Amino acid sequence: MLGKLLKYEIKHSARYTMVIYGVTAIFALITGIALIANSTWLGVTGCFALYVAGIASVVVTLVSVIKNFYDTLYGRQGYLTFTLPVKCSTLLLSKVIVSFLWIVVSFLIMAATYLLIFLYAKDKSEGMLDSIMGVFAVSGLMELLPSKAVLIQVVLMVALLAILTILTYVGFVYFSVTVANTRPLQSHPKLFGGLVFFGVFFLTSSIGNKLTEALPLTFNVATDRVFFAFKNMFEVENVLLSYGVGGTIFSGIIALGLLFATGYIMEHKVNLK
Amino acid sequence: MSNIIQVEGLNKSYGKKVVLDNVSFSIEEGSIVGLLGPNGCGKTTLIKILTGLIKDHNGMVRIDNEEPGVHTKSIVAFLPDKSYLPDWMKPTDAISYFADFYEDFDKDKAISMVTEFGLDPHQRLKTMSKGQQEKLSLILVMCRRAKLYILDEPLGGLDPAARSAILDLIMNNYAKDASVLISTHLINDVERIFDRVLMISQGKVIVNSHVDEIREKGKTVEEVFKEVFSYAW
Repeated sequence: MLGKLLKYEIKHSARYTMVIYGVTAIFALITGIALIANSTWLGVTGCFALYVAGIASVVVTLVSVIKNFYDTLYGRQGYLTFTLPVKCSTLLLSKVIVSFLWIVVSFLIMAATYLLIFLYAKDKSEGMLDSIMGVFAVSGLMELLPSKAVLIQVVLMVALLAILTILTYVGFVYFSVTVANTRPLQSHPKLFGGLVFFGVFFLTSSIGNKLTEALPLTFNVATDRVFFAFKNMFEVENVLLSYGVGGTIFSGIIALGLLFATGYIMEHKVNLK
Repeated sequence: MSNIIQVEGLNKSYGKKVVLDNVSFSIEEGSIVGLLGPNGCGKTTLIKILTGLIKDHNGMVRIDNEEPGVHTKSIVAFLPDKSYLPDWMKPTDAISYFADFYEDFDKDKAISMVTEFGLDPHQRLKTMSKGQQEKLSLILVMCRRAKLYILDEPLGGLDPAARSAILDLIMNNYAKDASVLISTHLINDVERIFDRVLMISQGKVIVNSHVDEIREKGKTVEEVFKEVFSYAW
């Protein structure tokens, strides 16, 4: 059943995301044409449009995760979804997987658009590169990239943190929407959904910060190495990224906890309007 | 004959408002039951509990001897009182969806019925009229060989000619060994098909009787309904 749920979940959610991905692809095409045609004004316009579309891809995807979850479970389509002969946990799992995939895809698209902008600028004169880098305020970023020796470790670490961050976001959204659609709060689901989201966010953020302080172990990425340390390594030269291990572990626990809580409420407290 | 639905001491409140108050009844396998009552009497809430759409209630509810859950959902064909199919779907998509999730769904029958009832299999639902969407939903539900059909206001919003066609669709297509629970307030149109009626008023079952017993008293279901719910007008 999970496979079938995934199929329809992708079909349903693709309606929101594919439009912005398609628009981004068109801007990428325009930038490519500008490169071949050697048209500066078209290239700069295309780069700017790509930059905006890259951000929009992520924003639209994050919003669509909320809308898709609400529509398919607590909107009128919930009458169909909740009467399917599947466990609520399976329903939830299918939604988590698809949301996770779309968010990853959106960030990859954003990264691809920036790469395309960079390649375009590199192909032009030094002046053009500076000009575009200046526009996007990323000038000098290249010098900060870590050495090849630590790149794999950096990628793995960033991937792990990205997975945790995405799961935490999905957990926050699903939990908030579900709690806001229980009987006491469902009269104003958007208002209470927002309140629950930010309430849980601030609560967990403060606990995470306290844990990071209590356990001052940090994981750090420098230009030449990756290392653990027991102090704030931003004070150290060449450190690009520094993550509190306690807070990160707590985020993982929170993500899983919120998803389990969402599944429990769906299974035992659902009350469709 | 065993019971397909068994409900005992069912209570449900929305805040301070009691919607179902110690409701108890059972429905035998193979019977067609009318769930009758004025708007707001608790019919839809009861149906939502039976179909597992409301879980926070008190009391015992059993469908085919099990609590509403995965098993009961696999044997209950449910038609809600609102359009529940996604707008982006076409009838062909909806048929594939039902075929994917319900083992008892007759895909070939659904395809032929869609055409038979004048629906375009490739028209998106968002461009269909409300009546066309309701017709498609009913076709999908009735093309399942379910043990229990729960139909919430299947005739609501239809003109008399369409009501007759929809009733024929229901009567000609439900699995003959199955039970049917139909919620409606349009009694005159449907009383001919009922074996039994349940009348709910202010959250309580106040009439639970075989239609034959009502007829033996020289009355129609509609007359009993008007007597019972005279307060509502």
